[in-house]
Amino acid sequence: MAKKVANVVKLQIPAGKATPAPPVGPALGQAGINIMGFTKEFNARTADQAGMLIPVVISVYEDRSFDFITKTPPASVLLKKAAGVEHGSGEPNTKKVAKVTKAQVEEIAKTKMQDLNAANVESAMRMIEGTARSMGFTVEG
Amino acid sequence: MEWTQVTVTTQSESVEAVSYILNDLGAAGVKIDDAKDFAKLKPGEYGAHGEIIDPKDIPHIATGAAVTAYYPQTVFVPEIIPTIEQRVAQLKEFGLDPGSGAVTSKAVSDENWTTAWKKYYHPVRVTSSLTVVPSWEEYQPKQPNEQLIYLDPGMAFGTGTHPTTRLMLQALEMVVRGDETVLDVGTGSGVLSIAAKLLGVSKVYAFDVDDVAVQSAVENLKLNPVASDIHIRPNDLLTGVTQMADLIVANILAEIIVPLIPQAYERLNTGGHFLCSGIIADKVALILNKLQNQGFRVEETLKIGDWYGIIAYKPFSDE
Repeated sequence: MAKKVANVVKLQIPAGKATPAPPVGPALGQAGINIMGFTKEFNARTADQAGMLIPVVISVYEDRSFDFITKTPPASVLLKKAAGVEHGSGEPNTKKVAKVTKAQVEEIAKTKMQDLNAANVESAMRMIEGTARSMGFTVEG
Repeated sequence: MEWTQVTVTTQSESVEAVSYILNDLGAAGVKIDDAKDFAKLKPGEYGAHGEIIDPKDIPHIATGAAVTAYYPQTVFVPEIIPTIEQRVAQLKEFGLDPGSGAVTSKAVSDENWTTAWKKYYHPVRVTSSLTVVPSWEEYQPKQPNEQLIYLDPGMAFGTGTHPTTRLMLQALEMVVRGDETVLDVGTGSGVLSIAAKLLGVSKVYAFDVDDVAVQSAVENLKLNPVASDIHIRPNDLLTGVTQMADLIVANILAEIIVPLIPQAYERLNTGGHFLCSGIIADKVALILNKLQNQGFRVEETLKIGDWYGIIAYKPFSDE
């Protein structure tokens, strides 16, 4: 039976460790989803990436059942991994904490292309590069 | 508990950077509203349900994007708002369009969301003899053999409507003959313990590693007179439990069932059953393998949607 989508919710939450605390609780409670039902399914499906922030898009049907799909990790997570650092900078314009190459930016842009709202790879690269610089990373090459 | 909701109005291209800023300042995740995401919505993306998507019926942001984070009381939000504003405005220097970059905040209480979904929760006849009834609903059994489990699921898992719980209730109905001693591992809302008592077992010992779940189960046991003699306490799986059982039930997750398997085998009387659920398709082979290596015989594998439940038993030595 075809189901009608009543709501679509996009979150970025820790894989394998979702709890009813915000942002899950307010977003899904308002959408009428059984919050614990969601966290159990989400944690089961993302246990292999535990702790990593994962974007998830939840579609809520009229009968309050739901489906969700997980997306590629946030740009900031991929950038930290590429640069080999745990944290970005709190003062990105003055305090640089890491560097990534243009090639790494391009690779991340291509990985995330399907999930970014970018018209082409060049504009996806601009988004990734801007995110990198906002974290106090320099982009070289 | 009170939280502060902080929303940054921005543009699609800055969503990743703004999300990072909010998480960097102590949020444990964000909610993203992006008009461009909505423009891309198409049927069939979220599963095989043949979704019907009618944009005018789905709430969404008309233009631009907004990123929302929630901060607990331990974070003094008035202090971080100027930092958020400054770091969002700075995105221009990094080649991104932050849009208006407006930051708004408001206090929210968790009562709003912990109860918001209740209005969608109604009595569900899960098996031929078991119906789960929310504690706030009035319900009369439709047939003489129909038994009622009253639940207020609160913040613990086990509303009776989730496939994993339904699998376990079905499995219980299949194996319970009466007078058994049962161990319920990861009891959550207590739904399986209550069902076991209704089906005629003699003793139930229930455990959960999460104190919140234990509290929730205690409340639910009070709603069901048949469950008044169930023993419940916080415990990590069956570690340190010496009670022998005829039946062990565990509706948890595959990763947690793995270390439970040897413990369950040790605590089961020969001929006793081990029912486990919370297993997604790609973990079924792992669990079946672990069960068989331990010496269990698998009697049946049940499936609802993407979820699997397994009925296994501890064989007699001459089997």
